[in-house]
Amino acid sequence: MSSIEDIAGLLEPAFPAHLYVHVPFCRMKCSYCDFYSVPIGNKDQIDVVLRGIDAELRQWGALRLPGVVETLYVGGGTPTVIGPGALQVVDSVRNGMPLRAGADITVEANPDSVTGELMYVFAMGGVTRVSLGVQSFDEKVIGVLGRVHTPEEAVSAAETIVAAGMDLSVDLMCGIPGQSLESWRETLDAAIGTGAAHVSVYPLTLEEGTPLEVAVSTGLVEPVDPDAAADMMMLAEDVLAAAGIERYEVANYARPGHESLHNLAYWTGDHYIGIGPAAHGMVDAATARSAGLAEALAEDTVRVRFGNAPDIDEWLFGGRRTVEQLTAAEAMREDVMLGLRLVRGVDATAVAAAGLDATLEDLARLELVERVGEGGPHARWRTTAKGWLLGNEVFGRVWSPDE
Amino acid sequence: MTDPALIRNFSIIAHIDHGKSTLADRVLELTHTVDGRDMKEQVLDSMDIERERGITIKAQAVRVMFDAEDGQTYQLNLIDTPGHVDFTYEVSRSLQACEGALLVVDAGQGVEAQTVANAQLAMNANLEVIPLINKIDLPQADVERVKHEIEEALAIPADEAILTSGKTGEGVREALESVVKRVPAPQGDPDAPLSALIFDSYFDAYRGVVALIRVIDGRIAKDLKIKMMATGVVTDVEEVGVRRPANKPVPELGVGEVGYLITGLKDPALVRVGDTVTLAKHGTEAPLPGYREVKPMVFTGVFPIDGDQYPDLRDALDKLRLNDAALIYEPESSHALGFGYRVGFLGLLHMEVIKERLEREFGLDLLATAPSVEYHVYKANGESVVVHSPQDMPEPGTIERIEEPYLRATILVPPDHVGAVMELAEGRRATFKDMQYLSKTTVEMHYEIPLGELIMDFFDQLKSRTRGYASLDYEYIGYRASALVKLDILLAGKVVDALSFIVHKDKAYPRGRVLTEKLRAIIPRQFFEVPIQAAVGSRIVARETVKAKRKDVLAKCYGGDITRKRKLLEKQKAGKKRMKAVGNVEVPQEAFMAILKVDE
Repeated sequence: MSSIEDIAGLLEPAFPAHLYVHVPFCRMKCSYCDFYSVPIGNKDQIDVVLRGIDAELRQWGALRLPGVVETLYVGGGTPTVIGPGALQVVDSVRNGMPLRAGADITVEANPDSVTGELMYVFAMGGVTRVSLGVQSFDEKVIGVLGRVHTPEEAVSAAETIVAAGMDLSVDLMCGIPGQSLESWRETLDAAIGTGAAHVSVYPLTLEEGTPLEVAVSTGLVEPVDPDAAADMMMLAEDVLAAAGIERYEVANYARPGHESLHNLAYWTGDHYIGIGPAAHGMVDAATARSAGLAEALAEDTVRVRFGNAPDIDEWLFGGRRTVEQLTAAEAMREDVMLGLRLVRGVDATAVAAAGLDATLEDLARLELVERVGEGGPHARWRTTAKGWLLGNEVFGRVWSPDE
Repeated sequence: MTDPALIRNFSIIAHIDHGKSTLADRVLELTHTVDGRDMKEQVLDSMDIERERGITIKAQAVRVMFDAEDGQTYQLNLIDTPGHVDFTYEVSRSLQACEGALLVVDAGQGVEAQTVANAQLAMNANLEVIPLINKIDLPQADVERVKHEIEEALAIPADEAILTSGKTGEGVREALESVVKRVPAPQGDPDAPLSALIFDSYFDAYRGVVALIRVIDGRIAKDLKIKMMATGVVTDVEEVGVRRPANKPVPELGVGEVGYLITGLKDPALVRVGDTVTLAKHGTEAPLPGYREVKPMVFTGVFPIDGDQYPDLRDALDKLRLNDAALIYEPESSHALGFGYRVGFLGLLHMEVIKERLEREFGLDLLATAPSVEYHVYKANGESVVVHSPQDMPEPGTIERIEEPYLRATILVPPDHVGAVMELAEGRRATFKDMQYLSKTTVEMHYEIPLGELIMDFFDQLKSRTRGYASLDYEYIGYRASALVKLDILLAGKVVDALSFIVHKDKAYPRGRVLTEKLRAIIPRQFFEVPIQAAVGSRIVARETVKAKRKDVLAKCYGGDITRKRKLLEKQKAGKKRMKAVGNVEVPQEAFMAILKVDE
């Protein structure tokens, strides 16, 4: 959790401690996905993007701000579809930026593009963690999601990653049309069986305009009862905990010590840079000024969120970048909102500083949050079991409390 | 003053959408009343809402000068009338100010229900009715069929019908020639005491109430002392003038002339449509016939979504009433919706128009409850009560009988769709009276139907079940006893007064069932289970349950998602703001109108 001084923008410009690089290629788009990606095409286009990433990294590096990058996450898209090219990104970071030796480096992968050779190269190149997009080990469910791999491929990919000596994170989804509680339990068991140290569990969100959303809204596919999805989320917590994989965020579970340090940065107000098309970053006002992120910042801006254009050509020419400026009050509310995603919750003093005591007390009456550690030096607010399922209510009220 | 022999007063009457206002535009152009550069569509429809919806709500009068073939210049007073059944009274007053009417019939649509109704109004007023077949430029125009229908349905000879196109202006000069030749010049006694008819009025912020009048006998001039016969108010004439279409003062208006009258009176209730203006001293004894007080037929509760807007709502209603004597309202309070007004309207269109104007012109966010009618309740103890709102209905045990307003409905429809109309009517407690073929393509059907059924989405249903072919007109025929009960809706065990409605006892069960099902779909899941019940007295007739909400989560929240997520949460919050908290249940606005669409 960032300190109030930090939020107030009193710090000198500093190199953001976290770095995300977006590799915008996929073999094919999944039916539920609305992230920016393009079908993998010719080698020239891949080279253009890799060179663009390299150039953008160097621009940041040239600022020569104090501080080093602690975590790197290469996501997408599917970075592994460009094979060793994904490692080229890691090398670009090393060459262009102050990356801490032995930093936490994660690369996203899909089962169909994981090979023993590639994982060996990754491990040699300093990748510490691979996040594998499995979603389900049930063939029927995989089909609904429009994905291209088989359950066997997923198991074998997971084994390959573990064998190469990297930490494995498995991404799973629940609340999918046609998915039964039984199928979900088998998927959870299979995920545990791979030896994963980290598991993400997302209930499916039907994003507008995706093929799956269209299929559901036109009645082609039966929608999922939200109660069934709730049961699946609860089952995941029980089954994973029994295997020693504990929830640390609303959708993330890990063996103790294997939490994703990069993702934790998003939820604790740490600064990060986004590189590549559609990538986002967040820095304090001083750093935003020295990086020239906006023509003019408002006087009361303490935090700047920026996003690259979700289009390869526009990104290459620096067009359509979005910049959002937050005041100290907004930044503090945002930190509480994000902090309540974490099992450990938020320091009560941060809640009070954000002026959210009354809001959290209301939420406590609805049994969505609770205050713990009363009387001691570290009273905290945290989300309850009921609150995990009704996150929108918690986060919505924190972000825009009733006046 | 113009020689009455050179005056012609006429109206244009039509079913809605048959091109009346566009024809009026062409008349203004042809007579050089409005310059080309000032010409905008539907000049006489001055309200935004009239132009947008292509309807006329207020009557309008304009004087044009027409050089006829006979070499004379005639003063033509054209009175544009509303085309919708809600405003029948305004039409009938306007017709009283005329000697003739151009009856406009769409060459494609043919005769429709309000063509018949308006033609009958004109004939009953002894007007010379000249049929015009309009929109002959349309590919679907079928002049011969329409002529046949005019003769069959209206008994008006159609061989001399004038063929016009409001779009191209074709036939418009011919129509005006025929007004000059066929419409009688006004008859009146210039030496008799003043007698003038108020056929409409509007409010001017600087001048007060402006009355549109037609002089029958005598003359009216500035500074005369006059009297409004129905209200008894005596006042001075501040100004008289003619509308071209902007107001232009003239020294006086004589027999047969149409113009405006400004008295300085500020209260529209004192200057009523249909009233007779005469001299304060030695005036006429006999008022002109046909005046009646306009009575609202449809009532609805109107509530500001934000309670702080309550005073603004009152101010807005006060302002609208200045231009609309038919609008009435009284304060109403609801447990569910707080403070608001019970507002009376002439009909559903009037209601929609007023609600839209309140929201648009006054920036109010309003919630309207389902419309109701005026019930006459006779109690066992001999008392009688007039009930405009279901929540005012006395306890069932004390009621001897309830009477409700009935209408005679006229429906014109192609023969193929007669069955669909019958089916709809049967479900709405309508009594079939008779039907006749007007032509091979049109059947006229008559029903007696409770107004309370008609306002429940009847027109939309009629249109959709006849694929848009049916047209409807109705007139009020009186009160009749019906076996009516109040159906209450309970949310989480508590009656929500704003959702109660009056229904025939045989319909209580099916409507209760449909409504609770509808509400279950409309009311979002809350933190707790919400039972929805329909009850007559203490008897529950239907029940549904909105299950407690267990899951509402957008799980992914990484770097790029945060801004997006916040926006989504803000949107969700805004959605909630549009809901009304009833007790601790969040109810979306559409729930209060759900009752309208209850076809089982």
